Amino acid sequence: MRALIALWEKEWLVLSRDVHGLAVLFLMPAAFIVVMSLALSDAFKGDPLRQVEFAVVSEDAQLADLFARSLAGDGFRAAPAPADEAAARESVRRAKPKLVLVVPRDFERALEAPPGQPGSPPGLTLLADPALPPTQLVAFQQRVLGAALGLRVSAMIRRAGIPADTGAFDLQQAAKLDVQVVGSTGRPSSVQQNVPAWLIFGMFFVVMPISALFIVERRDGTLARLASLQVPFSMLLLGKVAPFFVINLGQTVLMLLAGKTLVPWFGGEALALPARWDLVAAVAACTSLAAIGWGLAVAVCARTLEQATVIGGVGNILAAAIGGIMVPRFVMPEAMQTLADVSPMAWALDGFHAVMLRQGGAADIALPCLKLIALAFALFAAALWVHHSRRVLSPVQ
Amino acid sequence: MGTLNVEGLSFRYPGSSDAALQDATLVVPDGGIFGLLGPNGAGKTTLISILAGQLRGAKGRIAAGGEALEAVRRSRPHFLGLVPQEYAFYPMLTCVENLRFFGGVQGLAGARLKERMEAVAAFARIEGVLKRRAGRLSGGLKRRLNLAIGLLGEPEVLLLDEPTVGVDPQSRAFLLDSIRSLARPGRTILYTSHYMEEVEAICDHVAIIDHGRVLLSGALAEVLRDSSGLLTLHLQTPLPEALAADWKGRYALTEDGAARYRLRVPGAAQVAQVIEAARAAGCEPLAVGYGRRNLEQLFMQLTRRSLRD
Repeated sequence: MRALIALWEKEWLVLSRDVHGLAVLFLMPAAFIVVMSLALSDAFKGDPLRQVEFAVVSEDAQLADLFARSLAGDGFRAAPAPADEAAARESVRRAKPKLVLVVPRDFERALEAPPGQPGSPPGLTLLADPALPPTQLVAFQQRVLGAALGLRVSAMIRRAGIPADTGAFDLQQAAKLDVQVVGSTGRPSSVQQNVPAWLIFGMFFVVMPISALFIVERRDGTLARLASLQVPFSMLLLGKVAPFFVINLGQTVLMLLAGKTLVPWFGGEALALPARWDLVAAVAACTSLAAIGWGLAVAVCARTLEQATVIGGVGNILAAAIGGIMVPRFVMPEAMQTLADVSPMAWALDGFHAVMLRQGGAADIALPCLKLIALAFALFAAALWVHHSRRVLSPVQ
Repeated sequence: MGTLNVEGLSFRYPGSSDAALQDATLVVPDGGIFGLLGPNGAGKTTLISILAGQLRGAKGRIAAGGEALEAVRRSRPHFLGLVPQEYAFYPMLTCVENLRFFGGVQGLAGARLKERMEAVAAFARIEGVLKRRAGRLSGGLKRRLNLAIGLLGEPEVLLLDEPTVGVDPQSRAFLLDSIRSLARPGRTILYTSHYMEEVEAICDHVAIIDHGRVLLSGALAEVLRDSSGLLTLHLQTPLPEALAADWKGRYALTEDGAARYRLRVPGAAQVAQVIEAARAAGCEPLAVGYGRRNLEQLFMQLTRRSLRD
């Protein structure tokens, strides 16, 4: 035990002398949290279409105004209408506005045509910016069809001799819809996605200091000297676990605080802190063990600092890209979402989301935590195996 | 600790076609300084690394006092200490932090650790720089810290792998004096170096190793003893032709140039006569060698003169 304490103490001292390296472990995820939370704040809001402008081109100003009023809201905002269809096409090409609905001259007459008759259903043209996300285009299409349906129903009712206001069949007025997000205090915000995501990314970056120091120890003969002093290799590895575990837990606390205080200070939404800190700590601990295991495996397998930087750095970036850290999983296609399951960062993110978004219990974090611990043990065992399969422990003449 | 016996030790690095050690056999007597000599790549560090437990998979047997070295080291963890060629410490830590760490990993703690740290710091004369970062020390101080760390556990066998490389003459002299003072009954020092004069100055026994084979091994005095009757003379002026011709017949004189000669003289009494005769001929001797070989000559003769790197 005395030897293990000496190893921990040494690791702390070495880390404390590398202030810049230590700062990167804390500043990098904090910077990502602030930047990405702010950058993606609109995409995570309940009304993601808020900023999209549209216009309606119609010879009938009253009809254009009717459409514009029906289509506005829920993220769509009416913009001044271009003079005609040609001007509208030019405007859309410049993405100002991104959507233009062109209402033909005979539209009102066609509204009154019974189903099956020539001119029924009435035609409309929607001009769209190709950069518009398909989901937004589809959402706007549905709004257009909804508005057209309302106009047509009121026209048919009027034709039957019953007085009806053209706006009476607005889709928004069809029912009072109460949307409830189950198992959450509210909708997940950008900060709730980005804080755990970039925290995990930062935690896995301990691979850099772990492998760098280990390779320097091997290169300078320090590991060989420790081997000659009969310090077991497993103890050398364990000597690196505790200090980096504490660093990872420190990252967790500071990144949650960054989400709570730093992001709103920059104008973003504040992180809603979880109710179950014990479960957050459990997920953080399991993530930390997996990250440290990864660091140890890279440290033992890499022969040079360059190799460690490439394997550790690229491995982390790939795991982050696949695992929903850089791009949230819900925007990925189904195949990529399935692929995300292979990334340990995705397991960790599942665990954090279970506690922080869904207010889940111990059972909800059990599977991700088990996967992370199993990975940690597997990587630790791999590091031991690689070391023992090598007969040469130090560079010798 | 008893004699350290290395018997038939062979080792090949993974992927290498040549053996780094081939059937190496050595007897390292208890309580002295044993010099291990050899050109670069001869196998010295490989042998040291195997003894220190850094290389696995060597064939052969290593015993200390008749018992397998591994078993001895299991029962006496501080039995063996290593001072490697590299500065095997943490440059970002201070000297005292390095000493505390390497003492701690050997299980030393409390008053015992403090006592050992003070003892080795005093021995290596690094008390004045204990709070300085190890990486900022001069080459000589780094070597002394390296030695001090190796002595923390009071090892019975101390392996010193080229401990004076890259230091100034003052530091080298200090290190050699210190190492010489370490040898005593119950403590054996195995010393590798490229510097022949160092080995000649401090070692009781030597072995010359090359291409993984032990070419020669024994007590230094025995190894350097020359019973061939070779007398080497370096004179102030060349011998007169008549005397030279006479000695060619009587002593098989050969001339190495610049008034340097080699003669075969059967006994010490005749050596005095030869020197007297040279003086009488007006050739004052500047240097005389008889009965003892030069370690460097012996080394070059055994290992050939070809470059190894």
